[in-house]
Amino acid sequence: MSPSVCLQEMIRVIRGARTQGEERGVIQRECAAIRAQFRQADNGGRSHNLAKLLYVHMLGYPAHFGQMECVRLIASSKYSEKRIGYLGAMMLLDEKQDASLLITNSIKNDLSHSSQHVQSLALCTLACMGSAEMCRDLAPEIERLLKASNSYIKKKAALCAVHIVRKIPELGEMFTPSAHSLLSEKNHGVLHGAVILITELCERNPDNLKQFRKSVPELVQIMKNLVTSGYSPEHNVAGISDPFLQVRILRLLRILGRNNDAASDAMNDLLAQVATNTDSSKTAGSAVLYETVLTIMDIRSESGLRVLAVNILGRFLLNNDRNIRYISMTSLQKIVQTDHTAVQRHRGTIVDCLKDQDASVKRYAPSQRWHIDTILHVLVTAGGDVRDETVPNLIQLITAASELHCYTVHKLYRALISDIVQQSLVQVACWCIGEYGDLLLKGECEEITPMQVTEDDVLDALETVLQSHMSTPTSRGFALTAIMKLSTRITNNVDRIRSVVSIYGSCIDVELQQRAVEYNALFKKYDHMRAAVLERMPVIDRNSSGQTNGDPSVEPMKEFNQPKPVQGVLIQEPANQVCDLLDLLGDSNPPLLVTNDHTSTAPNSTNSTSSNVQDNLLDLLGGLEPTPAPSVTVFEKGGLSLKLQCDQQTETSTTVTFTASNSTQSDITGFNLQAAVPKSVQLQMKAPSGDLIPAQGCGTVTQTVLLSYTNKANLKMRVRLSYSSQGTACQDMVQIDSFPSPAWS
Amino acid sequence: MMRFLLLFSRQGKLRLQKWFLPMTEREKKKIIRDMTTMVLARKPRTCNFLHWRDLKIVYKRYASLYFCCGLEDQDNELLALEVLHRYVELLDKYFGSVCELDIIFNFEKAYFILDEFLMGGEIQETSKQSIAKSIEASDMLQETMEEYMSKPAF
Repeated sequence: MSPSVCLQEMIRVIRGARTQGEERGVIQRECAAIRAQFRQADNGGRSHNLAKLLYVHMLGYPAHFGQMECVRLIASSKYSEKRIGYLGAMMLLDEKQDASLLITNSIKNDLSHSSQHVQSLALCTLACMGSAEMCRDLAPEIERLLKASNSYIKKKAALCAVHIVRKIPELGEMFTPSAHSLLSEKNHGVLHGAVILITELCERNPDNLKQFRKSVPELVQIMKNLVTSGYSPEHNVAGISDPFLQVRILRLLRILGRNNDAASDAMNDLLAQVATNTDSSKTAGSAVLYETVLTIMDIRSESGLRVLAVNILGRFLLNNDRNIRYISMTSLQKIVQTDHTAVQRHRGTIVDCLKDQDASVKRYAPSQRWHIDTILHVLVTAGGDVRDETVPNLIQLITAASELHCYTVHKLYRALISDIVQQSLVQVACWCIGEYGDLLLKGECEEITPMQVTEDDVLDALETVLQSHMSTPTSRGFALTAIMKLSTRITNNVDRIRSVVSIYGSCIDVELQQRAVEYNALFKKYDHMRAAVLERMPVIDRNSSGQTNGDPSVEPMKEFNQPKPVQGVLIQEPANQVCDLLDLLGDSNPPLLVTNDHTSTAPNSTNSTSSNVQDNLLDLLGGLEPTPAPSVTVFEKGGLSLKLQCDQQTETSTTVTFTASNSTQSDITGFNLQAAVPKSVQLQMKAPSGDLIPAQGCGTVTQTVLLSYTNKANLKMRVRLSYSSQGTACQDMVQIDSFPSPAWS
Repeated sequence: MMRFLLLFSRQGKLRLQKWFLPMTEREKKKIIRDMTTMVLARKPRTCNFLHWRDLKIVYKRYASLYFCCGLEDQDNELLALEVLHRYVELLDKYFGSVCELDIIFNFEKAYFILDEFLMGGEIQETSKQSIAKSIEASDMLQETMEEYMSKPAF
């Protein structure tokens, strides 16, 4: 009976278990049996049992009692037992286990076994779990095998050598001569292993780097052969001849050409050839091109080649394949980080690509942090060329990524203190510092090296922007507002802020002057409101991907830049729902908040607001006495009628009560009333009594609306009714131009 | 180098795990948990690359199985997609139209094939035919040994 049947039978039983408990039971029984079998000496089924144990181990159950069995099986003379024993060793034994040392001798013997397949098992296991001790012990064997005549063994020995060098870098010099000679092999497996070994040697030791630079011509030739060779069935992947080997060679060339003109020159032509001749319609070709681009940008290549590389990335950005677009974005990010000047020269190309792709970047940006980082890099290098919407877009993105506020404000602060030329970057940085200044001052932030930032440092930075001749008026406005916001986020330097704000009260720039005067007022007369007004912003809600300047998402930005009382912000949400009704009233202005009546001079508006609130409260309390005022039917259709009644008239306010009734045979459900008034009128809707109007006049729904205004003559209202009647959804509109009132006669 | 290669089903059941760097059982379990959670949560039309700690994660779904590997910073993600695809091709050639059940019931063979393709987190052979030949030869060796097993030792 071959081992597989036994194993498969057990697997079938385990899979047949209907509950976790049942499965555990089966496995416990099997493990007990396996354990018993292990204890028996000399039984024919040892490899079946270990295989079963390994399956159980993969399901997540403990299998440490199988370790010694692995050791025993590896020492067996039977290939099937060795095979499963070595597999077990790789799965159950790692260098942290004591038992792993016990197999060192077996491995040593098997490395010289007459069968190459047994040698292969030993090599594979050593490369997988060989500890430093084992590696030191067996390194001479591996070195010997590197010179063996068999390519099957040579390729495996090469990767084993790679593992040894990773574990004990000093042993690298043992392999250097062999590594060099392996480059003349024809076998791709061996070549591939040799390239990886050389890469590893060069990365660990600069002396090796010098030595292997001499191999650049040889490597270039190998690459040329691969690129220009005809179709090779053995190595062809989607029209590319051995892309795996090509990529590894390109990576090695990158290391060899870095910071070295001679080596870089020697590979210039080849890189140009690969860049222009590789077909990137499939992933294999794109992988090669990607590696080529990374190499070109990292070595001392001539500018023509660099342009070629950036153009390839540009093409990638427009590729249909999402993965390729992602790769191009990450490459651009890397390039911007390491090679600022090269990117500057090609700024136009990159920004053009980014401009077009902004929406798709959002769709596949792997993380908010990545997205923020990428846009920051664009701002740092090309801030002067980005679209206007980038500033509010980035701010919206930042507010949405609440767990990244600390990281973002730290990054932006550092960008700001190094350079204040790029205005879009300055604006975003000022806004963030104003909003999240407290997080900046705390100092600690994951993912960023800690940097102690004092309140004075932050205020210095913002004042620099304020005073610099390089700052545009918009940026200065951002800075001043940010300074003001910090007054509620810092503790020691509030006086400094006070003095800045009062100085700018006489600034020539009218915008700055106005802001400063209002902020002054916030310090003096309205100090009790200052904390509420300067509170953290709620997450800005985005309803479109923001293509034009007339974008609703941009409007909140304009709102926040001007000092509006908190009430303007709080009432924004319900007002937005009424916005489209306001549109219908035919105002030529863009959709305005209902509370826009509060003008931008803070003192007057806050006064009238508070008095209005008080009035409204009074009205509510007072309005409980039912004065019989005439009610007018304003709407009638299909059995639904709406009556209007006015109460509590004063010169500047009215309480209107709507009553809806239903004379049809069936109930009207989902009844909803929306109202809109002109700019000069204040509207406050109370909650309706319900949304179901019973049939045949058995009940009504009432809703009260409070109106206040400066001029009675302007009082008009447009009402929209939505409801469901007899299964159909309906919507109706009625305009009310005159209001009945006992006071008006 | 590749740090690990995992195969798991759409329900998050592990079908194969290969670790190319020594790790404690606890670390391995954490990685498995994190990978299955992250990859299974991905929406259909997102790209095949992720970031996790300091590693680049590349995954691809083949029918009911997710192939997921963790790469280091210098590794080429697009090439990793090709590596995963190559492994699937090798399995397909060996089992003849491979499906998840083949890998479940013959997991040790899936490992043997993997060990002919990757070693120490790197590719050891770039030719499909070469790998297929060596697996066949090893299996033949095993068959012969099976015969010996039923005979007495001397």
